[in-house]
Amino acid sequence: MSADTSPPRDPPPQRDPQHPLPGLPRTDDGAAVALAAPGFDDAAFDDLVTGLARWSGALPDWPPARRVRAEWEQVALRLDRARRELSRVLVVGVIGGTGTGKSTLVNALAGRDLSPAGDVARPTTVAPVVVVARDVDCSWLSLDGVGARVVTSDSPAVANIVLVDCPDPDTQPGPDTQPDPDTQAAGDDGEVPAGDRSGAAARPSDSNRNRDLLEAVLPACDVLLLVATAQKYRSWSVAREVAAFAPGRPLLFVQTHASRDPDIRDDWRLELERQGIEAPSIHRIDGLEAARRTAAGLEPEPGYAALVRAIDEELVGRAARRVRRTGALDLAGWFVRQARQQLDPFRQPVVALLQGVEEQRERLEELMGRAVGQKLRDSRPAWQRIMQDELVERWQGGPFATFLHTLASLGALWPRLRAGGLVGRILAGQNSPAFAAGDGAWQSIEEVGLGEADVEQSRSILVGLAARAAIGEPMVGRARLSEAAVQTSVGTLLERTGNWLVGGVDRLVSERRDRADAPWVRAICEFLFSGMIIAVLGRAGWNFFYGHLWDGQPVGGLGFLEEALVWLVIWGLLLRWIVFARMRAGLDRDIASLVTRLPGARLVDPFVQDFAVAAGNTSAYLDEGAVLDGRLRGLCERVEEGRSSLGRLKGAVR
Amino acid sequence: MAADDPFRRSVPAAPVSRYAAWAGSVRELCSVVDLLKPLAAELGAPDPAESEWFGQLFGKLRPQVTREPILVVAVCGGTNTGKSLVANVLVGGEISRSVPEAARTRCPVASLPVGLAARIDLEELFPGFTPRPWSSGVDALGGGSDGDDLLIWREDPSGRQSQRLILIDTPDVDGTLRENWHRAEAVRNACDVIVAVLTQQKYNDAAVRDFFAAAAAARKSLIVVFNMVNWPAQRERIAGWLATFTAETGAAPLAVYAVPHDFSRAEAGTIEFFPLPELTGNRAAGGPIPPPSEPPADLATVLSAVDFDRIKLRAMEGAFRVVLDPRAGMGAWLDAFESSSRGWQEARTVLAEEAQVRVELPSAPRELVWHEIWEWLEPRRSRIDINLSRVYRVAGSGVAWMGRRIGVVRSAQEKQEDFATVELSALTQALTAFIDRLDAARRRNPRLEKLLGDALVYGDRASWYADLERRHTALPMVSEDYRSFVRGELDRFSRENPRFLQMLLTGLSLGSVARPCITVGLMVAGAAAVPAVAAASHGLTTLVHTAGDYVVWAVAPLAGEGVLGLTMAGLKPLLERLFAGWSAERSRVLTETLHDVVLGDRLEEIERLAGAAARPEVARARRLLHECGREVS
Repeated sequence: MSADTSPPRDPPPQRDPQHPLPGLPRTDDGAAVALAAPGFDDAAFDDLVTGLARWSGALPDWPPARRVRAEWEQVALRLDRARRELSRVLVVGVIGGTGTGKSTLVNALAGRDLSPAGDVARPTTVAPVVVVARDVDCSWLSLDGVGARVVTSDSPAVANIVLVDCPDPDTQPGPDTQPDPDTQAAGDDGEVPAGDRSGAAARPSDSNRNRDLLEAVLPACDVLLLVATAQKYRSWSVAREVAAFAPGRPLLFVQTHASRDPDIRDDWRLELERQGIEAPSIHRIDGLEAARRTAAGLEPEPGYAALVRAIDEELVGRAARRVRRTGALDLAGWFVRQARQQLDPFRQPVVALLQGVEEQRERLEELMGRAVGQKLRDSRPAWQRIMQDELVERWQGGPFATFLHTLASLGALWPRLRAGGLVGRILAGQNSPAFAAGDGAWQSIEEVGLGEADVEQSRSILVGLAARAAIGEPMVGRARLSEAAVQTSVGTLLERTGNWLVGGVDRLVSERRDRADAPWVRAICEFLFSGMIIAVLGRAGWNFFYGHLWDGQPVGGLGFLEEALVWLVIWGLLLRWIVFARMRAGLDRDIASLVTRLPGARLVDPFVQDFAVAAGNTSAYLDEGAVLDGRLRGLCERVEEGRSSLGRLKGAVR
Repeated sequence: MAADDPFRRSVPAAPVSRYAAWAGSVRELCSVVDLLKPLAAELGAPDPAESEWFGQLFGKLRPQVTREPILVVAVCGGTNTGKSLVANVLVGGEISRSVPEAARTRCPVASLPVGLAARIDLEELFPGFTPRPWSSGVDALGGGSDGDDLLIWREDPSGRQSQRLILIDTPDVDGTLRENWHRAEAVRNACDVIVAVLTQQKYNDAAVRDFFAAAAAARKSLIVVFNMVNWPAQRERIAGWLATFTAETGAAPLAVYAVPHDFSRAEAGTIEFFPLPELTGNRAAGGPIPPPSEPPADLATVLSAVDFDRIKLRAMEGAFRVVLDPRAGMGAWLDAFESSSRGWQEARTVLAEEAQVRVELPSAPRELVWHEIWEWLEPRRSRIDINLSRVYRVAGSGVAWMGRRIGVVRSAQEKQEDFATVELSALTQALTAFIDRLDAARRRNPRLEKLLGDALVYGDRASWYADLERRHTALPMVSEDYRSFVRGELDRFSRENPRFLQMLLTGLSLGSVARPCITVGLMVAGAAAVPAVAAASHGLTTLVHTAGDYVVWAVAPLAGEGVLGLTMAGLKPLLERLFAGWSAERSRVLTETLHDVVLGDRLEEIERLAGAAARPEVARARRLLHECGREVS
């Protein structure tokens, strides 16, 4: 890499992608390195390009991202080449309107008549002419299919660049104006009848493909040398081509016909300004005069000399590297700007979609919460049974516990109704909610408050929001879920709801059980119940031992026991009621608070999953784009200093 | 300038009266175009203002057909070719400043003969321009940038200008400011003679060629001036340049002049015009090119000597021919208009096919319909019947009370609430299906996309559902419309069936009907699809919303699984009608939401656009074009 100032003889070797830019000449003095690309951070730029490449292809299903990808494909190859072929000579495309003296200038620079020039017929140049130094291999220049003629030159002015004399953009009929047969027919008074005009010959210019050729040649150019005259510097057709090819290509400006035309460079600069192009310097030469002087070996006129000097200083050797790097940076900036233009209109809609997904989720959750809460509240007998089972299981031994056991086993004799529905099954302790396949899928979740209509309504609203963000199939589904999607969604919903309900109910029950299961509660109950037994037995003992044996009253008989048993049962039931009432207290409130925790369980997600995913992905895509944009901006700010006198498209980074 | 000068030929008899006779047709054509133009924009047909014939019709024929014949001469060409310089020389005084910078003349500048400004209305003669009197040579440089198309005018300072001649300097036709092109085109359309200023650099530029080709097509007389010629070195070249130019544009110039490149003369405004007669009139004669011996000519004098009437007639005729041209003229635009309208007819068919949705409503609460029938029946029954039914009613209510107590039977109120809930979700689902289908239709047809896209993408869908819910809540269980429908049906039936009462009583005790199924669709009048659906299902069609020619409709097909016994054969259709009518009545809220909130007046819009081709104006325009075509040829 020490031979920076001389043109490479061979195409640059393919570099290891891990080290795209090895061996910057550190041994050189710092000024030279700084001149090459002041503040240019190659590694960061490579990272950025890799990041942009990955990002642009990240979301192929989203149409705006596809358009970004298409933009990327336009610049990717050039960016890649700019990084790989850093030290290759620059290709300078000479463009301008017909008759502005492109070929004359090329001939002057080449030192001999290589390209036909003159005023005989317009257009003069109908095929591009590539001028290269004798010792430069330009096989890498892919100009197949445009009929380019390659000629060699020994002129020092083109020793270290490749010069391309391009066809003009002026003379080819416009893309929108089809050759109009009427225009030939209007001769003089011997008019052809209107109907017979179709036979008229085509115009000669119909075969003119100069603009197409130009557009085929320009992609191969690194720098544009824009040639204009007083008549053509405001030409619309030239401005259009420049606008299309200026991104990432520095520009040189030359006013020709200096000996005939007034100096219009100030006005040209204004015009370029209006087209968004920065033109720090514009050269003014007379091509014919320059060619004459070169041929005669005379001292060149100052304008021409300045142009040759500018080419040497700005486009050769180390400067070529700088041109390539800043060109690449500008190109990346141009791409980012295009991408931003594509994506900006969708930022707000994507945010709206994210919000919409949240709103619809809340709506469905609210419907579900209401239904589930109602269902739980309505299942009083089931709650009662659960609590009894819990208590019976805990309280073993002791008279009151025995009493409860007895009641429970009596209750077990009563046939239990089969619990129906999800909530019923869960409360009945059957934790396997099954759902019907096919049309029954929707019915199986009807009891949790969600119907087909509700889900479809939410999805339809989301379809509208998504359409606003240009999100459609296949990123998201339609309002009506497909059969398979219904099966999966309903299945997932039931499973999640089941788990969530089981957990919630368990927690509810265990809280209550703990409340009733406190030792002192049990002790009191047992004490009171035992007290009743003791009271009954004590009374019987008193009657027998004191009343009968001592006082001699007659024995009360077994009738007393019946009475005692009734009191005992009533007392037991009373105690049981108190215990259960204690357990039941605040059940409704607890159910309500259980339902408020429903959103946390993400139960309805399956129904709006596709929208949530699509909104998340697009949002992440937009964010990443903004991050890359910021990184590029940072890189550009560091390079902003040390710009050359070459023109460039403005606003590469704003 | 010999005797066979193309400018001077025999004058046709009363040429002015010849084109004045077209005035009526021109006016009528203009009024038709004015009428159809906004419709064309809605249809998506090409904008006529973009086309040549429109420019000729409105910029040339309409303003000039009845006016005293004034010859309009325009100086046209590319940027910085010296148009202003040529114009100033022609006028003999500065009307437009000639400056070194390109594209500086921003608006046309007209030089009028003394006194003409008082006689004519420039705004009418040059439609689209705002005339403004000249104050200095720089008027044309700055003006017009504010979007206003100015036309600066000045009375001829020298007083030499012919009384029937207007000379105009125009902006460029190839610069980066496109509004300049349009102004130049407007002037070109209005003029009769064009002084084409060409240069060695620009004579074959596509933009320049296109501009003059259009002028040649409209048979404007052309005078070519090659400016900035390296005289006499490039004299030999001019023939070649001109040949290219005429071959490309189809123009046949009346005369060709060369103006040598001479900076000092240009500065002084004293450029010379060297005639090149061998390039025009004598071409056919062949022979050697005469030596460059002609002295410079005074172009202004030449212009004032041309045969005004002949040139005028030629230009007017040319303009008319452009309008009448079958391929690029107004006829072609009418074709495009009609085919766009046909496109809308297709869109209408797509919509009629797609936008049909079956609504599966829940079974109607029987007692509601029964109640209406009872109401009608009450005054017609015998006492025994009444007492008997009272007994039934009391017994029935006792059973119902018990049922309610044990939670098996729900009260009438609760039943209606249940029904309303289920019905609302059926309607909601139908609305969703409808939106989905409209989305599909919009994707199928680009015109529907254009018309419905905004509503479907940017409409607030949540509010549509809210609207449906609101309408549904506000809907009474039995509306007056339905009540009178029931009465009417029963009256009719009882007239036709004398044993009706007995049958009805039997029917009431048995009755139960099928689950109703309503199809809601967007019917467009004349679309055959819809009546066919209605007929095929032997349905009851309620035409809910009639506005103009279109209808949102609902069909309740009478599904046959009614539980009514065979003995009820005669009564069954009646009862089904009554129930189906009730359901159709209920589904009305859906059609109302669709029409009022979702679609707005877009259906009428489609109807209007689909019918645009059949408008009488189109036929009239065609007839006029046909007649004028005969007249001109």
